[in-house]
Amino acid sequence: MRYQTHSILLLALAAATVLCGSNIALAAGPTSVHQTGTIAIVGGKLLTVSHGVIENGTVIIQYGRIQAVGDPSSVKIPTDATIIDAKGLTVYPGLIDPDTTLGLTEVAADEESNDLSEPSDEIMPHMHVADAFHAETELIPVARLNGVTNAVVAPGTADSIAGQDIFIQLGGENRDEMIVGRDVALAMNYGAEQRRRGGRGGGGSFPSTRMGLITQLRQSLLDAQHYEAEQKAAEKKTDAKPGDDAKSGDKGPGKSDKRDLKLEALLPYLHGEKPVVIGVYEGYDIESIMKVAQEFHLKVILNHVTHSQEVLDEIAAYKVPVIVGPIYDFPRADERYDAVYTLPAELAKRGIKIAISSGEAGGPGGAHTVRNLPYSAGFAVAYGLPYDEALKAITLNVAEMFGFGDKLGSLDVGKLGNVVIANGDPLDVRTDVKQVFIEGVSQPMVSRQTKLRDEYSKP
Amino acid sequence: MKLSLSPHVLALTILCAALPVVAQSTAPPPDILIKNATVMTASHGTIPNGSVWVHEGKIAGVGTSVDAPASAVVIDASGKYLTPGIIDPHSHSALDGDVNEATSPVTPSMMMIDAFDNRDAALYRALAGGVTTELLLHGSANMIGGQAVVIKNKFGLSRDEMLFPNAPRSIKFASGENPKRVYGSRNQLPSTRMGNFEVMRQSFEDAKAYMASWDAYNVKVKKDPTAIAPKVDLKLEALADVLRGKLYVQIHCYRADEFLTEEAIAKQYGYKIRAFHHALEMYKVAPEIAKDGTGIATFTDWWGFKDEAWDAIPWNAVMSMRAGVRVALKSDSNDHIRRLNQEAGKMVHYGGATEDEAIRMVTLNPAWIIGVDDHTGSIDVGKDADLVIWNMDPLSTYARAEKVYIDGDLFFDSSLPGLGATHFKGAMHDAGGFGGEDDSEGGMN
Repeated sequence: MRYQTHSILLLALAAATVLCGSNIALAAGPTSVHQTGTIAIVGGKLLTVSHGVIENGTVIIQYGRIQAVGDPSSVKIPTDATIIDAKGLTVYPGLIDPDTTLGLTEVAADEESNDLSEPSDEIMPHMHVADAFHAETELIPVARLNGVTNAVVAPGTADSIAGQDIFIQLGGENRDEMIVGRDVALAMNYGAEQRRRGGRGGGGSFPSTRMGLITQLRQSLLDAQHYEAEQKAAEKKTDAKPGDDAKSGDKGPGKSDKRDLKLEALLPYLHGEKPVVIGVYEGYDIESIMKVAQEFHLKVILNHVTHSQEVLDEIAAYKVPVIVGPIYDFPRADERYDAVYTLPAELAKRGIKIAISSGEAGGPGGAHTVRNLPYSAGFAVAYGLPYDEALKAITLNVAEMFGFGDKLGSLDVGKLGNVVIANGDPLDVRTDVKQVFIEGVSQPMVSRQTKLRDEYSKP
Repeated sequence: MKLSLSPHVLALTILCAALPVVAQSTAPPPDILIKNATVMTASHGTIPNGSVWVHEGKIAGVGTSVDAPASAVVIDASGKYLTPGIIDPHSHSALDGDVNEATSPVTPSMMMIDAFDNRDAALYRALAGGVTTELLLHGSANMIGGQAVVIKNKFGLSRDEMLFPNAPRSIKFASGENPKRVYGSRNQLPSTRMGNFEVMRQSFEDAKAYMASWDAYNVKVKKDPTAIAPKVDLKLEALADVLRGKLYVQIHCYRADEFLTEEAIAKQYGYKIRAFHHALEMYKVAPEIAKDGTGIATFTDWWGFKDEAWDAIPWNAVMSMRAGVRVALKSDSNDHIRRLNQEAGKMVHYGGATEDEAIRMVTLNPAWIIGVDDHTGSIDVGKDADLVIWNMDPLSTYARAEKVYIDGDLFFDSSLPGLGATHFKGAMHDAGGFGGEDDSEGGMN
């Protein structure tokens, strides 16, 4: 999960547009794609996420990275800086959605525009989201306009093991710039919603029950371990001196030269090198799937945990981070109306590191609603989550969960210049985002939707 | 029990006239004085530090000071906001998915009340979000789906007690992708928008012929008392009521061209369209539609879920409003219905609605679309005391409904342990799903 720095791009940017020292207008329009150099955002209220709020603060971004953060007395503005006046505005790190399908869908009901789930089998670890990610999707500028600069893209949730996620940046020249991490996590799912090919109770094909799903999963992980043992054994023999096996020609029991990409895909996760994100809703399902995860020493991030109110202490004892969402999922019948709304607060109260995803209970789902990510976090605040925790849950915590904690998620020196300027509290629905920077590049505040708006607003 | 004008209910009530029908009605609630609140009236601005007096279920006074009697129950709402009850003009809650009789594209005699389940958990959750009135509509599988029911969200009372008294009758029409898909997949008419509208025109021609046959009979029977009356046909009778102007026509459609076609057909057959629902492309033709006096009930920011939602923009509501269209926000979802106040808040962001305009989009304007704006939807003397106390400005992400009154009676109080539903006993039903697209064949949104 190596972060790919864009040194070539940055050099090109540095050499490109020379900006005058005057203030640039916010929401300047589509001309600003490649502006970089030094930017000084002055006078704003800085929500640093990592070290509190700085009123009337200054942020310096140079060569795509944050060079300085602080109050005016401690930060010297370089003479070549483009100064952006953020007086009366709020400045915060770009938001990060931990669970989206951005780039895998365009029109939800139009099958041809969707690359979400591979339905041929429940165990599909060798599906790479990177192979389907459509960087030019119209959905990305829409989400970016509300301050979302990064996201995890996961496959659809039909399969027990659905594939491997990517970590993206919602800006860049092309796909490879936008995918900042390939195969960053394994997407797993367990519970009532999982596809049962045989139908509940069995329709002739396996698996048709939770028992079947778990057995199939466990067997797959065992197969991968066995595959690895065989490969290692074969490697030893290949490494051995020529002639050792000359007489028999034996390459070892069951060993084949052919790589099995499906089983191979599971190995980094069996080694605990990268996280598995397990989508699971019910408390007892969490207990079942965590038994498997612990048996194979998987590095778990739990996702959803919508109906886990009875096992919150157990979740805390697992010492795993949790993605909560959609916060708008329904409680069970006869539960109090806010049983799910209060979940982020209840988890955080127990010391669990949480991230919050966008998404709603039904409706367009995981890609079209990414722009509402900050409102999900704000809703968690309405139901008891401390504000600072909510902001972290859509910035720094997500970055840390997926291995980007040193690059993203807070206004700190050395981090990427993914910075948002808005006219108020980022978590409030009434707030308007004025400008988004990604790696210090001022993003055009334009989407297909703003173009339609402007076209039909002409007198 | 108050009577609804719905003929269906009327008939039922007449049948049961000998029975004691006031089974669960309570005595008139005591006077209430809510004071020190920021009162967002929806009709005449916001009153800081305002008071509202409720007498026998109606608003008896509103202002900086009111003449409530000393016996009134005083609610100190210092630091809190008071709004009219939230009104959802497009809900499919509490119908157990029975929203599309998708066996024929024209089913105007299907009565939504026959599917209404007053113990559905979706009603409770909406109540906890401040919703006091809902228009429960048919889905959109059919060109003409049937007749809606208007409820007051008195969760815990009997089914009949939840009906909105004297609410006008609404009928649901639909055009576009949903009827195309449902009937097209069966190789039946209508598989296209051409088929959509021709089915409608033919239906109204049938209705006109039906009306003519009755007119002829009514003339004939005066001369010949033995004349045989034409058959009463429930379907044609309902369509005739559309042509007679007795039904509010509520039309599901998305595209600008469809609004124009629907208006043309309405003019051709002489009925008015009360509102377009969804109406995601209204911003393209709003000045034309404003002239026809048709309102819209729209999503704030849903888009891209199907082709006809591809040009949806979140500025649609405010742009249409500025062009003179009466705009309401609606849920079409058991999720959004719980937080329509937040949806209204988004209108401040997308297009710069004032707080007054935004709150009106979820109160007075949807009341107008349903046709109950003389009774509810704003804080005015004489109106029903449908009121919500919020912990803060309801347009904020952080707002929570604390107390919800309907007809002056407290139906939800978040400070209570358990559900907080003051009138509810027993177990709820949970139809599951989110009460929108995919929940039922043919879809709804």
